[in-house]
Amino acid sequence: MAKAMLMDVTRCIGCRACQIACKQWHDLPAVHTTNLGTYENPPDLSADTWTRIEFRELDDHGTLKWLFSKHQCMHCTDAACVNVCPTGALKRDPYFGFVTYKRDKCSGCGYCIEFCPFHIPRKDEHANKLLGTGLMGGKCDFCFDRVSNGVEPACAKACPTGAITFGERDDLIREGRQRVMTLKKNYPDANLYGERELGGLHMLYVFAERPSVYDFPENPEMPAAAISLPIEKWTGVGLGLLAGAGILTASVVARARMIQEEKQNVKE
Amino acid sequence: MSKNKTEKGFWAAIFPTIGSVIGTFLYDYFFDDPKRPGIMRFSFPARTLHWVTAVLIILLGFTGLILFVPGWGTIAVAGWTRIIHRICVYIFSVVLLLYFVTYRKNCLDYIKESFTWTREDLGWLRAAVDYYLGGEESKMPPQGRINPGQKIWQLITILCGAIFFITGAIMTFAKGAVAPGVFQWCVFTHDIAFIIGGCMLIVHVVLGALHPRMSESLRSMITGKISVQYAKSHYGKWYEKISKKQA
Repeated sequence: MAKAMLMDVTRCIGCRACQIACKQWHDLPAVHTTNLGTYENPPDLSADTWTRIEFRELDDHGTLKWLFSKHQCMHCTDAACVNVCPTGALKRDPYFGFVTYKRDKCSGCGYCIEFCPFHIPRKDEHANKLLGTGLMGGKCDFCFDRVSNGVEPACAKACPTGAITFGERDDLIREGRQRVMTLKKNYPDANLYGERELGGLHMLYVFAERPSVYDFPENPEMPAAAISLPIEKWTGVGLGLLAGAGILTASVVARARMIQEEKQNVKE
Repeated sequence: MSKNKTEKGFWAAIFPTIGSVIGTFLYDYFFDDPKRPGIMRFSFPARTLHWVTAVLIILLGFTGLILFVPGWGTIAVAGWTRIIHRICVYIFSVVLLLYFVTYRKNCLDYIKESFTWTREDLGWLRAAVDYYLGGEESKMPPQGRINPGQKIWQLITILCGAIFFITGAIMTFAKGAVAPGVFQWCVFTHDIAFIIGGCMLIVHVVLGALHPRMSESLRSMITGKISVQYAKSHYGKWYEKISKKQA
């Protein structure tokens, strides 16, 4: 039932067809960039770039390793952004397990940007800090329109080497484990990423090195503040109602008692 | 974000603010008889500050509350309340700064008053529960310019205000510059201050406007004056001091 994508970094050739396919399918404009001396481009995720291949150069005992990894929303099961989003613009789809974002429900508070353990969401480019304008720019939606019609996401479709595969999450985990077993012979650090992290990611990775080498957090965790915020809110609402009810009752009781006293005084 | 929306947010913040100043002013000069007997309790600048901050706090509180109450968030969609929240804070900062520069003594007294606590105050607070539930008024020990209950409220305004300003400034200006963890706990602390301040604000409003023991409280904040009898019964020590000064 739960769908996922598996990215096998050892099969990626860094062609960035997935980036282009993503832009094409979602009708996102190209970003004007300058050459920074690397094939990596654009330099960062943005409101118009929802997925990006990160290029890493690793010096492994004198030999150069050129590592590619695809960065986008990881579609966590226990998603911090869904926990903190005050307007319900970010939601977890109960059927597929993806984290969906509805831009027309966003207030632009930017909590998702600061709470995301993978640092994925980005604000609109023309956002004004002083006035607090601008919304969350948008993020990978797992090609929800395609997937719900039984087609694989655009990036998986475009991948020429089969580095990105789409399917049932359970199948992909099995596949990924097998691939890791094969890789272990040559790459002792090979691992499957996303199986248990944050309740299970819907973007799985087969890494040949430790995740931190690819700029992924080793142990991504739900921020403690993200867990406490919903609790805090309900506590606050409760306390507010209690304070209001308490002080109103006190006022009413006081008035009743004072009227009674007055009556007694008159009688005496 | 359209410019139009920014403008709307700006006016939504600035109209009530200017309105509250003009309102206080108009009432003071046209509807209040300056010869009306009574003791001056709140000066005109103090009252103006009170009503300006009241309006700003209502606007800030409402635009914050809709993010706070689960399910009300949809009101904030497209971020128009965020603009109001920001602009109100900027006006608030300017108003507070101007007031501090112009009436420094008032401000310092206010702070000093809030942080001065004596053993008597605790005794008053112990007796206050019965008092606010309509108990015997004469049992309460005579008070200075403000009673310990009001002192708590002043303390809350200072402490919560400081928390609001500091965490809010970090969230507005240092977003992205500080570690995400700092931002996260700023959101949390801002909310805690909102809970404490909000609950106390409810108590403050109901006590000031509705409670039968505080019968002249609201009027004194509008006209500035309280009757001699009210001053004697509620702020005995302060009344003595004032009458000595005048004599």
